[in-house]
Amino acid sequence: MFKKLIADSTAKSPWLFHINAGSCNGCDIELVSVITPRYDAERLGFKLTGTPRQADIVVVTGPVTKQTLPRVLRSISQVPEPRCIVTMGSCPQSGNVFKGSYSIAGPLSKYVHVDVAVAGCAPKPEAVIDGLALATQILKEKREKM
Amino acid sequence: MITTILLDALQYLGYILIFPGFLFCFLIGMLLCGIDRKLVARMQKRVGPPILQPFYDFFKLMGKETIIPAQANRTVFLVAPLFGLAALVVIQMFIPIFSFSAFSGMADIIVILYLLLIPALSAIMGAAATGSPYAGVGLSREMVVIISCELPLVMVLLAVAKTVGDALGVGLCFSLSDIAAYQAVNGSLITKLSMIPAALAFMMVIPGETGNHPFDAAEAETELCEGMLAEYSGAPLGVYKLSHAIKMLTLTSLFVALFLGGLGTGIVILDAIIMVVICVVLTAVCISLVHAITARLKIEQIFKYYWTVVSGLALISLVLAWYGL
Repeated sequence: MFKKLIADSTAKSPWLFHINAGSCNGCDIELVSVITPRYDAERLGFKLTGTPRQADIVVVTGPVTKQTLPRVLRSISQVPEPRCIVTMGSCPQSGNVFKGSYSIAGPLSKYVHVDVAVAGCAPKPEAVIDGLALATQILKEKREKM
Repeated sequence: MITTILLDALQYLGYILIFPGFLFCFLIGMLLCGIDRKLVARMQKRVGPPILQPFYDFFKLMGKETIIPAQANRTVFLVAPLFGLAALVVIQMFIPIFSFSAFSGMADIIVILYLLLIPALSAIMGAAATGSPYAGVGLSREMVVIISCELPLVMVLLAVAKTVGDALGVGLCFSLSDIAAYQAVNGSLITKLSMIPAALAFMMVIPGETGNHPFDAAEAETELCEGMLAEYSGAPLGVYKLSHAIKMLTLTSLFVALFLGGLGTGIVILDAIIMVVICVVLTAVCISLVHAITARLKIEQIFKYYWTVVSGLALISLVLAWYGL
């Protein structure tokens, strides 16, 4: 019973940590708009935290440049289990318009397992909330397997 | 003989674990925290999280992995949050619920004053044990916040002790159960003109002591990565969140005990419900409203605010009480 309570709570209280991996700032602003009064993701329990240690979901934006790659991997490894990695926008998925550039190390899925990928340049807030809601279900499944 | 001792022991165990103690604090503290988050959201025209959200957060954190930093002192890192929680539960047992109090003594107020420092001090020790620079900056700010809040708090408590002590003819009355008994006979202290500035000052101290929004420079998540909690994860972080919720209950119920004591009915359960309702109203006014309408203050602004405006109000009350008004 206690295990079920924890698994249910995990789905209802996902805390986000946002990593900017060389993003153009477009996706970052759209992520902030998700917690404004208009879309209010807090009603699903989402909260932005300042430190990877307290996060459940890591949101990565940007095409993962060579400069940011080691820092992104180090930040992700600091997030305690169970954790979920969500890429936001087309850049971390495919490289987008930066594909083929000498300074790009992405896509992110070459280095870590990506649970949810939200495409778009930049994705609409509705799409972001949809992706995050999907991530909470994956979090719950991961917690049940622990 | 043995049965009475056993019954007494059982009664005290009940006090500590269930009614004014741990379970009561846990449920009501989390409820206050949830109502606060909901109210702030409604004031900002959002739907807001469900009222049970702090419970979900707590149980989620209980199920997360706990990462202990390599350079941290393991024992201090893990024990510090438990010390803070224990101190808060002990305070809650000293605070009378109108006429009922689990423990009472000669100088409850002094004990509470010391015990109120322990959660902040243990958080500082835990933060220092992590060795993180963010926690370092956070704990130096937390110390300043403690010093800022302590002066007006002491003056408010002295003013109350002097007023009640004069009426009872004992000089200074530091016993909370005596203060409760005095108010049951003579009406709530807030109806006295000389106590109104002190009550206002105490209401201003509440958000500072709990580290809520305009005074949360120590945990500024946007600039300091959660400050003192930067390296905490999993169960210890859950205990910190629980301590923060219980602190809201402790300070609001201390306000009820000091200034609104005469409202009790004599039936313990009814009294507890009345107290919780007043605590919710106080949380809405002192914590949620202030959170929704202000931006975070800088650390020197917090210090200045508490040592001029709030201390000034408390001083007015203290002087009036000293001249017996």
